[in-house]
Amino acid sequence: MPPPHFFDPIVFGTELVFTIIAFIFCFAIYYKTRESYELTKHAGIRYFRDAFLFFGLSYIMRFLFSLVLFSRMAFDFFIPREMFVPLFILPLGYLSTIAIFYLIFSLVWKRVNNQKILILGHLIAILLPLLAFLTRTPMLLLYMQTALLMIAILLVFLIRKGKKRLSKTKILYLLVFGLWLINLFIIDSKRPFPPEIEILFRAVSLIVFVMIYYKVNKWAR
Amino acid sequence: MNTKKRDRLEVIFDILDLISKNHNSIKPTPLLRYSNLSSTSFSEYYTELTSKGFIKEIIDSKGKKYITLTDKGFKYLEKYRLILGFIDEFEL
Repeated sequence: MPPPHFFDPIVFGTELVFTIIAFIFCFAIYYKTRESYELTKHAGIRYFRDAFLFFGLSYIMRFLFSLVLFSRMAFDFFIPREMFVPLFILPLGYLSTIAIFYLIFSLVWKRVNNQKILILGHLIAILLPLLAFLTRTPMLLLYMQTALLMIAILLVFLIRKGKKRLSKTKILYLLVFGLWLINLFIIDSKRPFPPEIEILFRAVSLIVFVMIYYKVNKWAR
Repeated sequence: MNTKKRDRLEVIFDILDLISKNHNSIKPTPLLRYSNLSSTSFSEYYTELTSKGFIKEIIDSKGKKYITLTDKGFKYLEKYRLILGFIDEFEL
């Protein structure tokens, strides 16, 4: 599909609404688990809730990034690539990588509870967007996150040997990760999918967040 | 028999639950025995739960010491039950 050279208010509107709802649900998950964490100081709860806070912020950064792309179509001004890439790719890459890392770590922290692994996670989260910036290839971030995610999923399955391999929760997590990568892919200026498919991906993403919120709400009353 | 090592949260839940299931009144020695903890660990948890106001000591007319849950303890026992469910659901 050819890249759109015009400002489409419907695409912009759905992007905005999607971002707001995704952020609200991510933040609601974070907020709903506050009391449980404060009461117990349970490390797994901390990684879980921080992951959703980072996901919420990642979706905001993703929207700001797409806003820059929209501004090039809609307005006379445009921010030079040399400026917007470090401005948006670095925080977007860091926040989303650390969100993925924390959610995976919440599953395995009991077996690999090690501060060094946490520090390594933060270093990787800084390194990935930095590489994307230095090579001037924003899409590199997507490819590296995909590779990292595959390795992490494999490790989780190996570390949690004996546990139920594919629970409902793990399926939801896989959807969160997969849809994040697809939603990141969508904002590429080439816009590879028709708008209807993009809307479908966004709708599924929101359904996944609603399902996680519903599960959280059931326990964190 | 469950041989899995309990984490801190599960131990707190077990202690509060033991007191609650014993008609909210249990002597320290049986509580130590049923909680499956060493006396050092038990003492640490006991101090923590007392300082948080979850449990309190009462002495009956014969001078015997009993441990009971406070209102706050009952409230948190219910909360802990939910939190353990949450942890289990999300495999945390």
